[in-house]
Amino acid sequence: MFELTLQAVFSGLLSGAFYALIALGLALVFGTMKVINLAHGELILLAAYVAYTLESVAGWSPLASLPVALVVVGICAAGVYFLISRIKRDRELNSLILTFGLAIIITNGILMIWSADVRSTGGDWAHGAFVLGDSLFAMNAELLAAGVSVVLVVLLYLWLNHSWYGRAIRAVSSSSEAAKLMGVNPRQLELLSFIIAGVLATFAGVALYSAQTIAPELGHNLTITAFIITVLAGMGSISEVLVGGLLIGVIEALTVTYFSSSLRELSGFVLFLAVLLVLPSGLSGLKMKTRKAGPTGVSPGSSEKPARQKQLQHD
Amino acid sequence: MLQLENISVEFGGVRALHDVTLTANTGETLGLVGPNGAGKTTLFNVISGVVKPSGGRMMFKGHAVSGAQHTRARLGIGRTFQVPQPLHELTVRENLIVAQRFGSGRPADPTRIDLVLEAVNLTKRQHADAATELTLTERKALEVAKALATEPKLLMLDEVFAGLETHGKRLFMESLVRIRNQFHLTMIVIEHDIETIRSLCDRVAVLNFGELLAEGSADDVFNHPEVIRSYTGESKT
Amino acid sequence: MTNSKMNNRILVAAVLITTYVLVPLLFGGNSYLLGVVVSAFTIAGIAVAWALLGNLGGMISFGHAAFFGIGAYTSSLLAMRFGVSPLLGLLLGGLGAVVASLAMLPVLRLRGPYFALAILAYAEIFRILAVELKSITGGAGGLLSIPGLPTVAGFDLNTKLGGYFTIVTIVAVSVLVYYLIRRSTYGLALRAMHDSENATRVLGVPATRLKALMLIVSAFITGVVGAFNAHFINFLEPNYAFAGTWTILPIVAAIFGGYRTLTGPVAGALVIYLMDQLLFKSLIPQGHQLILGGLLVAMILFAPDGLVGVLLRKVKGGGDHATT
Repeated sequence: MFELTLQAVFSGLLSGAFYALIALGLALVFGTMKVINLAHGELILLAAYVAYTLESVAGWSPLASLPVALVVVGICAAGVYFLISRIKRDRELNSLILTFGLAIIITNGILMIWSADVRSTGGDWAHGAFVLGDSLFAMNAELLAAGVSVVLVVLLYLWLNHSWYGRAIRAVSSSSEAAKLMGVNPRQLELLSFIIAGVLATFAGVALYSAQTIAPELGHNLTITAFIITVLAGMGSISEVLVGGLLIGVIEALTVTYFSSSLRELSGFVLFLAVLLVLPSGLSGLKMKTRKAGPTGVSPGSSEKPARQKQLQHD
Repeated sequence: MLQLENISVEFGGVRALHDVTLTANTGETLGLVGPNGAGKTTLFNVISGVVKPSGGRMMFKGHAVSGAQHTRARLGIGRTFQVPQPLHELTVRENLIVAQRFGSGRPADPTRIDLVLEAVNLTKRQHADAATELTLTERKALEVAKALATEPKLLMLDEVFAGLETHGKRLFMESLVRIRNQFHLTMIVIEHDIETIRSLCDRVAVLNFGELLAEGSADDVFNHPEVIRSYTGESKT
Repeated sequence: MTNSKMNNRILVAAVLITTYVLVPLLFGGNSYLLGVVVSAFTIAGIAVAWALLGNLGGMISFGHAAFFGIGAYTSSLLAMRFGVSPLLGLLLGGLGAVVASLAMLPVLRLRGPYFALAILAYAEIFRILAVELKSITGGAGGLLSIPGLPTVAGFDLNTKLGGYFTIVTIVAVSVLVYYLIRRSTYGLALRAMHDSENATRVLGVPATRLKALMLIVSAFITGVVGAFNAHFINFLEPNYAFAGTWTILPIVAAIFGGYRTLTGPVAGALVIYLMDQLLFKSLIPQGHQLILGGLLVAMILFAPDGLVGVLLRKVKGGGDHATT
């Protein structure tokens, strides 16, 4: 009984870390540009298919296909940003629809190029079993994906908080005008955010290909997963993305173990809703709760927009 | 008409209001003064339901008040915001239609709206876009008009004269006095200018650092040593 | 009557005549085409409901499939277990969706993407529940032989043509409801709430209640459409009833047609769906939706107001746009 729980938690942590990896790129762009890239899942899938192509055509292992995938997806990500930058007004809403359209294009493009058949890596190592301490099982690929995820989360966190580019990105996200005055070029930085998101998506995609089967419709599901983890984490720092992913991963795994596998998705969604109801701005709201609601009596995640003018009032 | 007892407001460890007890009698105009940051607008926020007090209670026309923000207008509490907040995407007249329809609890009444437009001198501008096509004076007039359209018994004005030059101020003042008489209003007025307070208000209350410093006639209050000290800047820690 | 009001009335009359008279006359015999048109109008109905929530309620939803599916199942189960007439079932399906929306009230206070995603979570939860609660819903196998619409005044609604008239009427009524709300004082208040919600509250507007009302109306309309669909194709299963398509296509349609306008969603649905099924599918059998995606992208970049929005600007060049 205990072993069962432990195995569930272990698998859950691994899959949760992978969820975080999927979500990372979306969260970065959402956090810095307030843009939700609904084509994010498709970019991940694209990377997976590149890995597949290189393996089936040239026998390359997924690891080896990383550089090529990085280039392909990086260019696509830049392309997505290029289109978004062309939106003249209402960027938040219009970029949503734009990327949604792009997602449809990419998914169908993948369908046309690679057909609807499911694909999976032939490599042995990826599916090989790894045993931790005698009784905890995992696939090698799962373990690697989780490890890569944690590493990337840490790197991203450090980069955002300690490098000049990282700080500039945060400056642009809070005030584009002020950032410009300090010599920062918002467009360049937004492009950089997008490309980094593309890089993150590539890692997720190659890991995806090593660990499970892929099919064109997966893009949609990946985007939803990424979106859920991102919103769950809230518009905050990167660490909540990992926490959110792990949380969902573990809850899902426990549900599968103790209830039934068909309820797996249900548990994820229910957890998602439960968290949002308590913390309307996601997990990052935990930090904000220690600072009580401001003078306007409105909390950050709620739908009221405190009039900007109010901040100019004095009592 | 309005009784505040021991009202306190606290957020994030900051005490915006502390133990404020104040009364506004029916038919009078109460002035509310104090340095910036004293808590005057917060007090308005409490009365109009924007902010929930962390302590104390409020009675309006003899009944305890504690409901959601949108119920206050129906009770008869109207207020303006320091920085005018016109309803976006609507014309001036439409602003008043919304205010009258939802704030008075009565069905749509175009006559009332015409009346209010007349009173604030906006009849000619009633079809202008409220958020983008009005001058500062007009926006302030609309702010007052919106509150009036809800048929308030108590009207709270938050620095309505700020930003107006002398002539505009005088005209506005005259309008306000007329309005006060025409609609039989009890008013609470936040103002910085002492002359305005003297000419408009029957009584004055002074706030500083969230506490009530003094209360009484304009003369009494402005000669009160504590009040003078608060304006000349000796800080209380 | 002013000139433009007269024009509007003529336009409305023309549209109604085309829909109720011309189309049946011209295409009534072509069963396949009629079926496609019915599907297009089904999408249109959801699109109107979605746009109503987005425009008046100010909330974008990614989970309208929830209301569609609940409406479908409610009506079907009532018909099959309790012999309720499917016509009444349409309304009850709408009510079922309303009940579902009440469960969503807690998430009303969430902002933009948070709300959108929360509704999606609800939709997925309902789908999974429909699969799991086998005894009630027939599980993954679904419900077969759902009763069709009855005969009304000698006219058998359980035919392609009957279904056509039914769905067209549902859509027309929905547009009417949208129009009436939009031009009432409620519509004014809702418009003001987009940017000045706090200011409206101080004036006595029960903002949260109004938003809830819009969610309920949107849910009802979508539920009725879902119920109709169930009785039209006489078959239902969870992955169909709660399919993402019922969320996605209406959104594409509404955006394409111009979601800020009254008729945009309907026009968009008809154009998009008909083009996709009749034209694109034959051009690119596998992956034809790609063109839809391309259209969406092109539209956002070059005509964000949508098809009807662009048409309006060309025809009127500014001026009052109260009725379209």
